[in-house]
Amino acid sequence: MESDRGQVLLSVRNLRKYFPIRGGLFSSHIGDVRAVDGVSFDIHKGETVGLVGESGCGKTTVGRLLLRLIEPTSGHTFYRPPPEVEERLDSIYDQLGPMNLPDNGGVPKLPPNGPQLLQELDGLASKYSIYRMRGPRLRQIRGKLQIVFQDPFSSLSPRMLVRDIVAEPLEIHHMGTSRTRYQRVAELMQAVGLNPDHLWRFPHEFSGGQRQRIGIARALALRPDFIVLDEPTSALDVSVQAQILNILTKLQKEQDLAYLFISHHLSVVRALSHRVVVMYLGKVVERAPTDTLFDRPMHPYTQALLAAIPIPDPSLNRERILLKGDVPSPAAPPPGCRFHTRCPAVMPVCSKVEPPLIRVQGDHFVACHLFPGTGSGTGSADALASAASPQALASSPAS
Amino acid sequence: MGAAPAEAPVQPDVAAHEREIGNVILDVRNLRTYFFTYDGVVKALDGVSLNVRRGETVGLVGETGCGKSVTAFSITKLIADPPGRIMDGVILYKGANLLWGLDKEAKFKPIPKTNRVKVRRYYHRIKRAQERMNAVRGGGISMIFQEPQSALNPIFAISDQVGEALLLHRGEDIIESILHATPRAPGVEPAIREVVKAARANNSDILAAATEKLAEAANFPSMATQAFYIFRLNWSDPESKVPELRKALDRARLSGLQRSFLHRESKRLGYLRELRAIYLEEMRRGKEQRVARSRVSARSTALALRTLYFSIWGISRNVRRPLNEETFWRTVKLLEGVRIANPVQVARGYPHELSGGMLQRVMIAMALSAEPELLIADEPTTALDVTIQAQILELMRDLKNRIGTAIMLITHDLGVIAEVADRVCVMYAGNIVEVAPVRDLYKHPLHPYSQGLLSSIPRMDQPDKKLESIPGSVPNLIYPPTGCRFHPRCPHAMPICKESRPPMTVEGEGHHVACFLYNGPVWKG
Repeated sequence: MESDRGQVLLSVRNLRKYFPIRGGLFSSHIGDVRAVDGVSFDIHKGETVGLVGESGCGKTTVGRLLLRLIEPTSGHTFYRPPPEVEERLDSIYDQLGPMNLPDNGGVPKLPPNGPQLLQELDGLASKYSIYRMRGPRLRQIRGKLQIVFQDPFSSLSPRMLVRDIVAEPLEIHHMGTSRTRYQRVAELMQAVGLNPDHLWRFPHEFSGGQRQRIGIARALALRPDFIVLDEPTSALDVSVQAQILNILTKLQKEQDLAYLFISHHLSVVRALSHRVVVMYLGKVVERAPTDTLFDRPMHPYTQALLAAIPIPDPSLNRERILLKGDVPSPAAPPPGCRFHTRCPAVMPVCSKVEPPLIRVQGDHFVACHLFPGTGSGTGSADALASAASPQALASSPAS
Repeated sequence: MGAAPAEAPVQPDVAAHEREIGNVILDVRNLRTYFFTYDGVVKALDGVSLNVRRGETVGLVGETGCGKSVTAFSITKLIADPPGRIMDGVILYKGANLLWGLDKEAKFKPIPKTNRVKVRRYYHRIKRAQERMNAVRGGGISMIFQEPQSALNPIFAISDQVGEALLLHRGEDIIESILHATPRAPGVEPAIREVVKAARANNSDILAAATEKLAEAANFPSMATQAFYIFRLNWSDPESKVPELRKALDRARLSGLQRSFLHRESKRLGYLRELRAIYLEEMRRGKEQRVARSRVSARSTALALRTLYFSIWGISRNVRRPLNEETFWRTVKLLEGVRIANPVQVARGYPHELSGGMLQRVMIAMALSAEPELLIADEPTTALDVTIQAQILELMRDLKNRIGTAIMLITHDLGVIAEVADRVCVMYAGNIVEVAPVRDLYKHPLHPYSQGLLSSIPRMDQPDKKLESIPGSVPNLIYPPTGCRFHPRCPHAMPICKESRPPMTVEGEGHHVACFLYNGPVWKG
């Protein structure tokens, strides 16, 4: 949608989050739920990245990791890396290869200069990674990264006045005096289309759509530059959903906000996002600019996902791709490509080798054995896979 | 069907009209359902009229709180009472009024200076009406609920829960098929050999045919399912499964004691069937007075049904075992009918072991166990992921074509409606505002609310479309807006909209709308 893109705001690299499963005698560690398993993408200033996938694919976990609401098992999220650092990061990750971090408990295969690279990466991470920040720096970052939750009925304290709910972030960050704070709150209420009279009410007096506006006002209070929208409209009716989506677009234009829009509702994602990341069982299967993804989906999963969405037009006759079965458990993901158990175009190689995320064209990346050069996981595939770096992303053609 | 209901206008083409009436299995007129709360009376449904014809899919669409689910629950009389009450209306199911005797069930007295109303309920009458409903619920009209996780009982196996529905509605069939089973009939042994041969050939088509033959020889329908699964579970070594199959056949053979028990049951069932036939005959005549006169037989039907239920669960183990076995294998067959890949394991499992999509399939199997004429699906896919939703919708389409069940599909997703429904009713704040064939509605929505609703959905195939939103939100139904309930949010509101309720007018073939913007002839149902 946009040709010139702003500075990189968040650069997510090889992010993993394994939730331990405890059981047996002495509740020992008996396995992991691999909620997020090696996810990489960039979010630029002022753009919306859509994150889609079915329930249990790790979308929400990625959102929480980006805000450091939970700590990752490994990987980094770099906050506003300067262009030269960004370049250096690209080349480090290029050399390390995509599977550089321990997977399956194994020892990572490193190139000869691996230890030096890791050391350098560590140095950069300690400066820019949000997972290394402490004290005042972290506090500052927390104000810049905000979230709007899915369920407006449980994300607002029923005992607080709307005024106090929206002013709470300001209080925590010691912004302004009590008078200026409430002026700011009134401004915010106006920005999200609520009447300032509503300040003296409790959340239960509002409808779902109005509550979600309060949630947005609260997220905006600290003038963030990035907001995670975790299914902000899935609890709302369509007519109200349109109101919320319009407000979000308006705010983005006014305040140059970047959004991570998490949703399972692809039509909504298409309406709002500039780029889309499709996840399946903790892995990114496809990543592309919105129009490219919706017009030319490449991964069989994306194709099935798009075909499964009911389009409100009865005269349209579409080809249906029906997937078999359910999403497998992320505690025991299938070997090889994680989608091979349900894939309509499955090949023998799919159950053995995990396809790396490779660049197809411009800004379009896909992880599937169907596309040439991704076959065997040899050197060339690695090289292709490493092209999935933000360096390559920058040279995006007009779609 | 018999004579037209009294409310229908007399039309010149009587034959065509009769055909039309006969085709309508559910005709709801002027349904009003109120909830009596401490804040006041919530007028959830305010004169809803709709009909469902044989074999068609009707979509009921609207926002949260517009009364979609209340409509469904009113039709099956599952409204929690108190606080809810159906106040007024007629629900004709195949010509018989399910709300017969409604006005005698309760008395209402407004409490002065409040919005509240005191309701005096006559529980003996309500109870009797509910008992009458039991014959219709599940058997004639069945329902799929929104959240399969909470609709199934966590402490019973799937086979028990589906089996209960089967026993209640198909008890006669099951008992008869057990009684007629003669497992040691002459053709059985060669049929078993045939099955083993087919299993060794590793061909499921031949195996299915062979098992059917075995079932025929044993005169035991569910034997086919059982044999099929016994062999399919172990392709590699079919011989080892022969003793298992023999055992199953032996188990199906009845002892003299069991036979006499079941004979007694079947006699009772025969009596029951007669009663039910009388009842249905009365219902078919469709006259309320007639039903009133046949109240005695209706009541004894309900009583007999209840005794059947308790007798089936209460009779000695000897009878229960063949019954349970037969029911189990019938359940397996049902589960296979809703395309569950491993029906035996699923039938033995518990709800928590299954995913949402699988549970919804189980619910559908349960709802279809009695081959209902009308299936009410209340947001069947809302709790599911899109890929699973696509599977379930495909399944419902397929079932409709195979069984010919009429479906009333309740959803807020206009995309789902477009894919599945033949006709759509749009609801707003307890009223039906527009009824139209599905293509008409999406091409030319007439009511401003339908127009707003359609332009507020983001469309995947039209990304550049601007999203319009309907200002404001759904009104409070304790103090609903006067006149047309949509007027406070309507872009075309006129003075008259505030004063009176727009009548339903005919604006095209099967296209009705309740709005003052249109002035076609008034629709009379």
